Amino acid sequence: MSSILTPFASIGAKGWVVLSIFIFIFSCKKDPAIEDTGNDVITLQIPKGFPYPVIPSDNQPTQNRIDLGKKIFFDPILSRDSTISCGSCHHTDKKFTDGLQFSIGIDGNQTTRNAMSILNTAYQPYIFWDGGVPNLEQQVLAPIENPLEMDFDINQVVARLNNHPEYPKLFQKAYNQPPSVYTLSRAIACYERTLFTGKSRYDDYLYDNNTLALNASEINGMNIFFGENGECFHCHNEYNFTDYSFKNNGLYLFYADSGRARITTLQSDVGKFKVPSLRNIELTAPYMHDGSLATLEDVIEHYNSGGQPHPNKSGLIQPLNLTPQEKQDLVNFLKTLTDK
Amino acid sequence: MKKNKLILMAAVALLTTATIFTGCKKDDDDTPAPTPNTEQKLSFHLHTMVGSNAASYGVQYQDASGRKFDIADLRYYISNIVLIKNDGSELALSGKVLLVNPATQEYELGEVPVGSYKGFKFLLGLDSTTNHSDPTTYSASNPLSIQSPSIHWSWNSGYIFMKIEGQVDTTLAANGPLDLQYFYHVGLDQLKRTIDFSTSPFTVVSGSDYEIGLEFDLLQALNNVDMRTENETHSFNNLPLATKIADNWQDSFELE
Repeated sequence: MSSILTPFASIGAKGWVVLSIFIFIFSCKKDPAIEDTGNDVITLQIPKGFPYPVIPSDNQPTQNRIDLGKKIFFDPILSRDSTISCGSCHHTDKKFTDGLQFSIGIDGNQTTRNAMSILNTAYQPYIFWDGGVPNLEQQVLAPIENPLEMDFDINQVVARLNNHPEYPKLFQKAYNQPPSVYTLSRAIACYERTLFTGKSRYDDYLYDNNTLALNASEINGMNIFFGENGECFHCHNEYNFTDYSFKNNGLYLFYADSGRARITTLQSDVGKFKVPSLRNIELTAPYMHDGSLATLEDVIEHYNSGGQPHPNKSGLIQPLNLTPQEKQDLVNFLKTLTDK
Repeated sequence: MKKNKLILMAAVALLTTATIFTGCKKDDDDTPAPTPNTEQKLSFHLHTMVGSNAASYGVQYQDASGRKFDIADLRYYISNIVLIKNDGSELALSGKVLLVNPATQEYELGEVPVGSYKGFKFLLGLDSTTNHSDPTTYSASNPLSIQSPSIHWSWNSGYIFMKIEGQVDTTLAANGPLDLQYFYHVGLDQLKRTIDFSTSPFTVVSGSDYEIGLEFDLLQALNNVDMRTENETHSFNNLPLATKIADNWQDSFELE
């Protein structure tokens, strides 16, 4: 603050009068022209080649809603002891992951799954590794109530927000309603839908026809990825490098975490997890639902091996017999999916 | 506007005259009989019991085998209430959802036509559409809004139809202190159950609201559940135990 005020200290009384008049005239002139655009519905800036996401009609993006959602996303007010925010496990500098095998929640608790990136989450047809929640609005409830994450009661979060010096005004501005379970869940979801990724060297190559964007090794890796050598593209496809299906990739013979079966109770879903996006995969280690593979090389080695013979393993997971150079090319290609 | 006003005045004048005439006709009669109500309020008067004792949080009870336990939370959803008329047709009390707890006995069901009914039935739990509706969209007064403590699964969007929690003595001889928290969270579409009282006739008469007296017995709901070894189900992780409890629900209810 002081650095902002210091220059004015030398203005003196006369100066203040002049300045006040100036401000007065300025505001008089501008007032009729100033338009508050905070509640105008915004068209989201979508990466090239991506479709416009489907957005619920009751939660169209406006600047006021996005700003509010962002403020709450990074505010530990959501957790029982006010220590954990959404941003505690979804770091902006790690493409909204946390670099840990398992995220750390309240009281130092270790959670049971690896934090997924929430970039391009606007396209997710269901949320979480097991797809247990149908949309981003309802997702907001889960980490707040999870005893290992925020361990709190959403009605108490709402009470806190209503007693906060700023939030009631901000909610009123954004949703024309006070803080409630409804507006809280919508604000966070609204912000999350603005988080996109899709400006990588691979995108230059694909969408801008910049053939020089990738080198020979990366192009070779790309061909393995999209060819019958690697078969990766069957699940990791389209603009977000996922088909959002649930697959058992043969990581284990016995799963400590039953994955999709936790939701469906079906034996045939044991060990199945939602296929993750590969965008920025270079920056979102460790890998798999349990963060058990530390490097991209480990991941390629797993798929090259054909995985464990679990009865639910996808038929696409078969030994690949890649040469060391091909494995390296594949890793090099995956690194071209990093945002510039 | 002026024209309307005139018409209105004329109508009022006419109506007044008519009333006077009617009044004249009635002059000889005693006090005119009030129009009989065609609808009356219907409610459930529901007692939550543990055997022959009223259920209450924090009180120690014994299960059928004499094992001690207490209750910290006991709530369940009733929905899709249907009255069966004498002609066999059904009157659905659409949209009515009750969240029952031991401390509350009165559950208003709304206004229903007077007359005789063959019986009624309801769902313990929720139909699939309601079960997977977005809980954040309900106002705080709606039983389907997020409760404190919650009775909705946030990690697998759906409601817990019946939540029973407390502590139980797990010693083999059943002679120790309450040493373990038990959790019976019964939900999932496949575990909703119709509670059938379709052959329990009742009559709603004009002029008085009607209460259907019901009793829910927790011991019946836990029939054949060994609380020592079967003390946790979140439905997904222990479907057989959750199913066993759901299958006990019909027999847990009795007319009072």
